[in-house]
Amino acid sequence: MAEAGDHSRDPCPIVILNDFGATFAMGVIGGTIWHGIKGFRNSPIGERRAGALSAIKVRAPTIGGNFGVWGGLFSTFDCAVKGVRRTEDPFNAIIAGFFTGGSLALRGGWKQTRNGAITCACVLAVFEGVGIAMQRWMAYGQKPMAPQLPEAPQPLAA
Amino acid sequence: MSWLLGGGSSTKQQEPVKEQTFAFDPSEATNVSSFLTPQALDVSKLHPLAGLNQNLEYLTLEDETPAVNTGILPIKDWTDDLCYGTGIVYLSGLGIGGAYGLAEGLRKTADSKSARLRLNGVLNAVTRRGPFLGNSAGVIALVYNLVNSSIDYFRGEHDSYNSIAAGAISGALFKATKGPKAMAISSGLVSVAAGVWCAVKKSVF
Repeated sequence: MAEAGDHSRDPCPIVILNDFGATFAMGVIGGTIWHGIKGFRNSPIGERRAGALSAIKVRAPTIGGNFGVWGGLFSTFDCAVKGVRRTEDPFNAIIAGFFTGGSLALRGGWKQTRNGAITCACVLAVFEGVGIAMQRWMAYGQKPMAPQLPEAPQPLAA
Repeated sequence: MSWLLGGGSSTKQQEPVKEQTFAFDPSEATNVSSFLTPQALDVSKLHPLAGLNQNLEYLTLEDETPAVNTGILPIKDWTDDLCYGTGIVYLSGLGIGGAYGLAEGLRKTADSKSARLRLNGVLNAVTRRGPFLGNSAGVIALVYNLVNSSIDYFRGEHDSYNSIAAGAISGALFKATKGPKAMAISSGLVSVAAGVWCAVKKSVF
């Protein structure tokens, strides 16, 4: 399928920095929205703005950090797997997800590491499957067509 | 694997190039449709090397702008600026904080008997200091890049004053709940950092 690879992404070692930043930004912005609403709803009336603000200040950077570490580790492993396998296919992401999930759960012991790795690989497999399905679905209506020639043109002398 | 290791090309015989002539006899051409046949416009007869009748992979290049600056980073638009800037600052904050935590953990657990306990203590210190510094620095960098890109967009100019102003705003916003004095200090620090970064960028790149 994707023999030529993904051309919208930067080349490999440098893209790790991009992914760190992108996932961190995603986490911070998402965490701001999530904990803003949560802090607002869980505060007593009269302190709702302050509650939302303090919840955002405490929790949004942490969520951003967790997202960023996940995305950066994943990107690092993805590049490493690409370098070793020298192919670009969905298994890269699945293998990278396996290693990411494993290394994030490393401090919990052997069992946690194994479970985290398998869970993360399964999640990435679902992501890749959905991505391929979306790609097929988007490409369905965009096949190049040959120009239609008239079967029997009108004679020139009209 | 043949593309990597070589070989394999000898097994596939090259087809002899077929000469395709479009002998046009004006006496036979009575009207347009006599020579404008679909056979004459068959893409597979254009050039045998082009392989136009086989499976082609089309690249959509219309939404891909080439990189504008010639530095190390392939920055194309403001989202690249945001991602690379935030990523670099976050990662360096994580590294510096982690190194500080490592030193602190090693110092605090110096008289520990068990190696396992010591490893745990050091790891705890690293994961307390590293993410704290990384998260704070990353948030400042994120807000700084957002503000900087906005100022660029509204002013229509890209210079160092934008960066210093963006640093002042993001620093003030970072300490917005600690009172005006802390805001002023943090604002000054971040804008000085932004100015130093601009000077370094101008002199190095």
